[in-house]
Amino acid sequence: MMKLKFLKSVSVLGALLAIPAYAHHSFAMFDFNNTLTIKATVKEFRWTNPHVVLLVEGSAKPGTAPEVWSMELTSPGNLTRVGWSRRSFKPGDHIELEFNPLRDGKHGGAFRKATLLETGQVLSSNLRDAEKPGLK
Amino acid sequence: MRRPIRECLIAMSFAVAAGGAAAAAGTQEPVINPPPQAGDWAALAKLPDWSGVWTPNMSDQDARIKTDPIPWKPAAAAQIARLIAAEEAGDPKGLFVNCLPESMPSWMLITHNALEFLFTPGRVTILGESDGNRLRRIYTDGRPHPADPDPSFHGHSIGHWEGQTLVVDTVGILPETYIAFSEAVGLPNNGDMHIVERIHLAGSDTLRDDLEITAPHVFTRTWKTSRILYRQRARKYDIVEGVCLQGSYSEGADAEGNAVFVPATQTEGGNILPAGK
Repeated sequence: MMKLKFLKSVSVLGALLAIPAYAHHSFAMFDFNNTLTIKATVKEFRWTNPHVVLLVEGSAKPGTAPEVWSMELTSPGNLTRVGWSRRSFKPGDHIELEFNPLRDGKHGGAFRKATLLETGQVLSSNLRDAEKPGLK
Repeated sequence: MRRPIRECLIAMSFAVAAGGAAAAAGTQEPVINPPPQAGDWAALAKLPDWSGVWTPNMSDQDARIKTDPIPWKPAAAAQIARLIAAEEAGDPKGLFVNCLPESMPSWMLITHNALEFLFTPGRVTILGESDGNRLRRIYTDGRPHPADPDPSFHGHSIGHWEGQTLVVDTVGILPETYIAFSEAVGLPNNGDMHIVERIHLAGSDTLRDDLEITAPHVFTRTWKTSRILYRQRARKYDIVEGVCLQGSYSEGADAEGNAVFVPATQTEGGNILPAGK
């Protein structure tokens, strides 16, 4: 009963905030002709469907103040198969990040590649490399 | 043990009540799904081996936009041209940003995610990934479609085996479900859609779904196309849970310290942004 009440209060809160439930989307809003590479610090790694999200803090242009950027990727299932896990990044990790920014200038991007500076490990997410049967 | 027994007693009392009512009204016995016999289970071993996890050929999905052009009616074609222009301009209309199921036929047409097949007596079940609603039940027990099926996202599917090929007939699909060839280009089928699929192995580890889609409100004729899936047996391909709406939230805490989902900052197009941006 407690749990039911609690769930109700959460759903009421959601209704009051009227947050649109947008998610599963095309990637055409990213500018794939513009690739940015920045040094950044991981703030948060959300291992969620339909898109995994990596929040980082870094300067998009040299000499400017660091800001938080949100990187979007494919799903946890797909990333697992190219060697990722929910522990691939943790807050505080220093990385070099390559991404395609949103065309509208907002602080979002499509993740391309990241290098963990402490270990040199490179993480990428190209699913098109995996279009064949019997992958290891 | 207590709970199952209690539940059984409750179920039995309902059954007795229902049976009594049927007898009183002089109606026929309800159609039941009979318990499978040993022979039904043994028959499954004669079906082709579709075990494992199947991943889509996405490049082939894209290529078929040109090789298998969709026979849109002129009014539909004009809308599609506008959607393509918007996508190419970097302002895509997100068909699935509300996280409703990709549905039939778009799940089969555009998925980037894995799926698997389960064979049980009288049924083939397709389970998908990345969206908790990706589930198709295909009845292979000889039943017909209902006369007036409740429209649903995946429709009502009946199937039969022709040799090594599963032939699936689907009706009763909601008019709002998209016929899409990307996550940003597609139109609602607008009703009365009928889909016939012939699903078969096209190699030891390649599965092919040949689709014939009749959508009289948006197509000039039946559209024929195919999709290709590849078998994976490595355990890292095992299907994982995926709930589309989870991405609209981040993990947080309420005032009492309980772990709760907190709405994430999102754009209209569905992009996740840093809080306050």
